[in-house]
Amino acid sequence: MKYLIVLVCAVLMAGAACAADHGPVFSYATPVNSQREFSFDTGIFGRSGSQGTQLSTGSGFGYGVTPHITVNAFLPASFGSGNLPESRIMSGTEWSAGASWRFLHSVTSVGKRIESTASLGLVVPGPQPDSGVLGTLHRAPGVAATLATGLASRSQYVWIGGGYTRFAEASNDRRPDTLSWSAVYGYRPSRLRRGYNQWDYRGFAELTGEHTGSVRSNGVILPDSTSTTLWLGPSVLAIFKNVAIEGGVQGPLFRDVSESVYGRERVRFAINLSYLKYSAHTSSH
Amino acid sequence: MKKILAAGFLALSTLAARAEYEQVNLTVFGMDCAPCAHAIHVSMKGIQGVNTVDVDLNTGLVSIKLTPGNSAVMRQFNEAVEKNGFTHKDANVLVRGQLSGSAEAPFLEVTGTKDRYALTPFSAGTNISALLGKAVVVEGVLPQSGKGKVSDTLRYKSMTEAK
Repeated sequence: MKYLIVLVCAVLMAGAACAADHGPVFSYATPVNSQREFSFDTGIFGRSGSQGTQLSTGSGFGYGVTPHITVNAFLPASFGSGNLPESRIMSGTEWSAGASWRFLHSVTSVGKRIESTASLGLVVPGPQPDSGVLGTLHRAPGVAATLATGLASRSQYVWIGGGYTRFAEASNDRRPDTLSWSAVYGYRPSRLRRGYNQWDYRGFAELTGEHTGSVRSNGVILPDSTSTTLWLGPSVLAIFKNVAIEGGVQGPLFRDVSESVYGRERVRFAINLSYLKYSAHTSSH
Repeated sequence: MKKILAAGFLALSTLAARAEYEQVNLTVFGMDCAPCAHAIHVSMKGIQGVNTVDVDLNTGLVSIKLTPGNSAVMRQFNEAVEKNGFTHKDANVLVRGQLSGSAEAPFLEVTGTKDRYALTPFSAGTNISALLGKAVVVEGVLPQSGKGKVSDTLRYKSMTEAK
C-alpha cells in the first residue's frame, strides 16, 4: 500500500520547484499557488557553450489544491544542437508533472513569512530527442525531488534549496543522476514597496550549482561524463497584479566538466512570463 | 403565491438590512508582494455584498466596505485570507445587529447570519442597558482567531442605536 501511495504521489507530482511566478527564475524557492489558483508559465531558457546552443521553450501549469499544495506540470520543447551536460536547473526535453507541498509556513509579521516547500515529481522523456552525448541514449522516466526553504518579506528574500533527480535505465542506457542546489538573495528597494495596483519589481542574485553523475551507454560508463558546475547571475522579476515577467542571466563560477565530452558552457539565460488566475470562490454561509 | 414570496423576500430583506457588516478592516500577515495583495483583493471581491476592497501591503491592512443589505459573514473574510496562504489577525468591524442578553452579558446577534458575538467593552463603565433588545451599530475589534474559526467575542469601542 505504501508503494502504491508513493507511486501515485510520484505520478501526480513531479517537478522542479524552480522559478517563475513569485520567485527567482533559476533557483529553488518556496512559493506555491493559492487555493484554486491557476498559474500559467511560458518562457525561453538558453544554454550556450563551445559545442553549440540549446534553447528550450515550454509551458508550465500549476493549480493550488489547497493553500499549501500545488500540482504542476511543465512541458518543454527544445531546439538547437548544444552538447551540454544534464541539467535540472535548466529545462531540457523532459516533461514533468508533480506537486509541491509547503509543509512549513510561519507568518511572523506584516509582509514577512518563513516557509519550506518540498516537491516530488515524475520526469518523462518528451517527444523530442536530446542533442549531444545525451542524445545517443535510450531514455527512461525519472523521479525528481526538491526541497527549498527561506524567508520572504517586503524588502528581502532569501531561499536555499536542493534537488535530486534519478532516472531509470532503458536498454542498458541511463541518464546521469543529478544533484542540484541553489541559494538566492532578493531585494526590493524601499521606493518600490508601493501599492499592489502598481508594478512590483525586485532583483535577485542567484547562485546555482549542479553535479551530474556518469552517463551509462550500452551498460558502459562513459569516461569523463560527470560534471560539476557553479553558476552566478542576476535576475529581475516584475509583476503587475496577476501578470509577471522575469529574466535572468548566469555565468560560470566553477566548472569541472570534460571539455572533450561537453565543451565549455559559457552562459545560461532565462525569460519567463507568468499569468496567475486567482479564484474568487468563497464558501457561502 | 407571488405575493407570499414577495412578502417573504421583503421580510428577509428587512432582517438582513438590520444586521450586517458595514466595514471590515482586517490585518493580514504574510503578504510580501503585489500578487499576494491582488489575490486577497480577488478573493474578497468574490464575497457577495463586498463593495470595495483596499489592500495596503506595507501595513497589511485589508479594508473592506460592504453594500447595504449584504449577508456576508465573518468566516468568509477569514477564509479568503486563509485560502491564499496568509494569516488573519485582529479585525476592526463596523456591524449592525440586534443587542440581546443582559447588561452584564450582552450579545450581538447578526440576524440573517449565524454570527453571534459576546460583547465586552474596550473601556470599563459603559452602560448599554438602554439599548438591550434594540438594533444597534457596533464598532469594535474581533481578536485573532484560529484557522477556520471566528472569534466569539467582540470588544466594542462604541455602540449606538441603529437609525
